[in-house]
Amino acid sequence: MGRVTQILIANRGEIAVRVIRACRELGIPSVAVHSDADARAPHVLLADRAVRIGPAPPAESYLSIPTILNAARESGADAIHPGYGFLSENAAFARACADAGITFIGPPGDVIDRLGSKIAARAIAQKAGVPVVPGGTSADQSTEAIAASARSVGFPVLLKPSAGGGGIGMKTIRDERTLAAGIDQARREATAAFGDGTLYVERLIERPRHVEIQIVADDHGNVVHLFERECSVQRRHQKVVEETPSTALTPRLRQRMGDAAVALARAAGYRNAGTVEFLLDPSTGLGAGGMDSASFYFLEVNTRLQVEHPVTERVTGVDLVHAQIAVARGEPLPWAQGSLAQRGHAIEVRVYAEDPSRHDLPQAGPLLLYREPSMPGIRIDSGVTEGGEISVHYDPLIAKLIADGETRDIARRRAVEALRHYPILGIRTNVSFLIEVLEHPRFVAGDIDTRFLDVEGEQIRARSAPAVSDGVLEVARAVFTAKADVSRRLVRRSAEREGGSTAGEDGGANADPWDTLRGYRG
Amino acid sequence: MADALGNGRYLVSGRIAYAVREKGRVWVFIDGRTYVVESNDRDAPDRVHVTDDQVALAAPMPATVIAIKVAPGQAVAAGDLLVLLEAMKMELPITAPRAGRVTSLACREGELVQPGIPLLELD
Repeated sequence: MGRVTQILIANRGEIAVRVIRACRELGIPSVAVHSDADARAPHVLLADRAVRIGPAPPAESYLSIPTILNAARESGADAIHPGYGFLSENAAFARACADAGITFIGPPGDVIDRLGSKIAARAIAQKAGVPVVPGGTSADQSTEAIAASARSVGFPVLLKPSAGGGGIGMKTIRDERTLAAGIDQARREATAAFGDGTLYVERLIERPRHVEIQIVADDHGNVVHLFERECSVQRRHQKVVEETPSTALTPRLRQRMGDAAVALARAAGYRNAGTVEFLLDPSTGLGAGGMDSASFYFLEVNTRLQVEHPVTERVTGVDLVHAQIAVARGEPLPWAQGSLAQRGHAIEVRVYAEDPSRHDLPQAGPLLLYREPSMPGIRIDSGVTEGGEISVHYDPLIAKLIADGETRDIARRRAVEALRHYPILGIRTNVSFLIEVLEHPRFVAGDIDTRFLDVEGEQIRARSAPAVSDGVLEVARAVFTAKADVSRRLVRRSAEREGGSTAGEDGGANADPWDTLRGYRG
Repeated sequence: MADALGNGRYLVSGRIAYAVREKGRVWVFIDGRTYVVESNDRDAPDRVHVTDDQVALAAPMPATVIAIKVAPGQAVAAGDLLVLLEAMKMELPITAPRAGRVTSLACREGELVQPGIPLLELD
């Protein structure tokens, strides 16, 4: 049981703002920390106190354990909320907090350690009876023995070099006919690439959906789940759109997945809020049992508050940060499993500073104009303001826009409408890309899997980049001329001084330069 | 002509647009789309002339070089991966803007590079 009378938030941006708001709601004094780049950031201005913790690079500020513990000591904070990212899943940090007599708002260090190791976490899942992706490395590496383990794992299978990584040398085997030849070829390739022909056999899940379960556990033996979030719209393992409920789940499947997540949390001795991630194989839901009996497999546990936690809050009506603080104080969970329910639908989109037309390149720069939409069913979690800046040092997340409604379609339409009224100027963003994702027929139909953006991304990108219209040019012209005639005359005079050398393609020396605008999509 | 409504808002064809000027260009937002409009004026003080290669072969922001995938003398095709950078927790691939031959490298693996400076030269 921990003391929580003043909370230091060891983070920045939207999640720091989110946690500080919860502290204020609960009447708990908050302490923000900031690097030099964030001296006037919203989380700093919102907190009751703020402590500078170093220069802009995260290693010297938000990731420095001694500096953050010092800030807690100096400010008198007796609890630390780590947010997500940075030190949130760092077992050494959780232990250092405990050693310093500071309550870490999250699971204990040894739980973070156990679940942070893929092998240990898989073992915990198996012990708890939670399915993992079938597979293994046979001690006998003869072709016959590997073929036997492929048959027991079930087709289609993936043969992976045990020594490998990054997808090199992986081979898909769909049926018995190509099995023996495929094993020999995979072994040759593994030997050539890694000097080791040992093969790992794993069931191939062809079009998986990413479905995760929110859990919260207290010190009194209570563990509940708060249903699922579907995060299949992702690229390079970065989530882009998240929602709940999942369109793939039936009540029976939801219960099976929730029970599995709770069993795993109990087996791991879990405390506080966490998320159990699963791969769901929709192809296993085509039989007589339908999706009720579909197969899902344990992926990993995120031992922290997730970026996408607001969609769960919108449909269950709970406040997960309040719950985290209550659990850290040693209080019992405020809800029993039976009192929790999903109502309506919520969709979150992540608004990033990035350029969809250039490989989603992160963008840094000033927010010259930034206006958040305010309309029914919209929540925006952000940590920026107009006049602020997206720094090269940190994550390019600008804000999360969460829309809810009675049905999925209403939530989706609300998200689109809000994005259409969300001007962010001075930096390129993915706003128009997000609109096209939400309007894509497959997304509208709920027909998504983790390869959705790999398959549809190019078409979505092309649609999100329309040509410059006359209306856009009219606005641009109005902006230039609104800057008073002075600048116009100055430009004219400089053209005259050049002796009319700007004549030609621009329409002559006396042409108003703002009359001939060139546009490109931002 | 669009009407200025104040505070960055404009009325055009019955719709509200948002716009802001940044030196020689204007950012415009209408109906969920963002555009950048540049003046054609050659004397605009902020206009910087750069070649396409300079843009394409430089880091778009301060970044760390993770891997250099080519060597001097090597022929590359348009779209080939040349250098892999990392910034803001993301990998940034620098690809060949055109076919050519690498004449020299101007960065090392592990180096922190600044934007605007080409990381290598193509002939």
